[in-house]
Amino acid sequence: MSPSAAIARYEGGEILASPRGLAWLLAAAAVLSSFALLLIGSTELGLLDNAQVVCGMAGLAVALGAVIAAVMGVDAMAGERERGALLPLLATAAPRRSILLGKLGGQALAWAAMVALAAPYLWAVGSTGQNLGMALLGLVLFGTPVVLAAGAGAMALGALLHSARAALVASLITLLLAASPLLLGPSLRQSALGRGFDAVNPFSGAINALDAMIVDGESLLSQGWKLTFAVAWLMVAYAAALGSLQPRAGRDLAT
Amino acid sequence: MIRIVLHGIVLAASAAVPLASAAPRACDPTAAQLAVTVTPDPRGPTAPRMGDRLAFRWMVVNHGASAATGMIVWLTLLRVDTGHEQAVDLEDWSTDKAVLVDNLASNNIIRRTWTLRLISSGTYRVLVGVATPDVPVPTVAASEAFTVAPKLVVESIRVLPVALGIPFTLGILLAFRLVRGHAGTGTEDAD
Repeated sequence: MSPSAAIARYEGGEILASPRGLAWLLAAAAVLSSFALLLIGSTELGLLDNAQVVCGMAGLAVALGAVIAAVMGVDAMAGERERGALLPLLATAAPRRSILLGKLGGQALAWAAMVALAAPYLWAVGSTGQNLGMALLGLVLFGTPVVLAAGAGAMALGALLHSARAALVASLITLLLAASPLLLGPSLRQSALGRGFDAVNPFSGAINALDAMIVDGESLLSQGWKLTFAVAWLMVAYAAALGSLQPRAGRDLAT
Repeated sequence: MIRIVLHGIVLAASAAVPLASAAPRACDPTAAQLAVTVTPDPRGPTAPRMGDRLAFRWMVVNHGASAATGMIVWLTLLRVDTGHEQAVDLEDWSTDKAVLVDNLASNNIIRRTWTLRLISSGTYRVLVGVATPDVPVPTVAASEAFTVAPKLVVESIRVLPVALGIPFTLGILLAFRLVRGHAGTGTEDAD
């Protein structure tokens, strides 16, 4: 087994089998359940509202996945450094690129668990069946680069900042800012500042793409540039994380 | 059952008209050049429900002696339920809201179909309007009111098992893992 696969398997196993990982999934399920239960009994929902509910649920799953990836990313660098586990890992013969890919692989497995968790919720609230397939497709295609970018960015912060707590706070604040489109609807982001923010924010791109596919029924092909943009952000975050792992004069990653 | 009024309705345009010249323009003879009709697609559901698609066929005839240029044909959806009267935003009902016809020769006809995705329940009327830059008074054809039956969009029978069952299952798994972890630790301690 390659070093990347071994690390990914270990990191992914943490989320799927350990009490800590199960607690995270339970917390994510509690959030999704609360959202779903709020809708029961509402007789004023139209089909449009139903599609928006499915879209909101998909966006919520992306946000939860990004939070878990960010926490895993900070823990993978700053957390392991504070536990004294990073130095032995970096001292192995495994290339740092492989270590990084392994850590990202673990986050990808956690995201896969999140998608599997969200799927029955999407089915439950999307009772009209309206664009449910597009919701799942959009969740996988657009959620994956956004979530992994959040994880890679958090790893970069975890490697660069000296404190795990500081890295975690910085990651979560950045994520909160990026995920603000979940709270502010498209109409509230029509100012020049809002449009500019949307133009550079991969989370906005993913939310807008999900809205276009689920609510407006647009084809996946029409969202190609948004997907390209999200993947480009993933590449940038990956490059930042890889750069932060490289040894540099005056900086010791292991302390 | 949907029935359609086939005659056109002439509306008076008042916007941006100086008060001094704001006389009614409904009798403008040029307005009669264009006639518009709208009929429902007979293949559509007779008792539509939310989620159905309802197609409307419209037709514009140029009765004038000259060609009509720069003609705009647009769709309007009105909700007419008492207490909920409003012009409906078509954003999610139809991807096609208006058609521009560059040129319609004299005594020629243009036909198209507009499809509506029925998003919300209620009673509605569809209007199809036609206007040209040369004819200031648009001509409008209207359908009779049709009712969209409601449909439950969030079914508690689907939501409850998922919303309660998944956290419960994960909670059981977590408790099992914790108990097993403690038991393992205890065994090691005993050893």
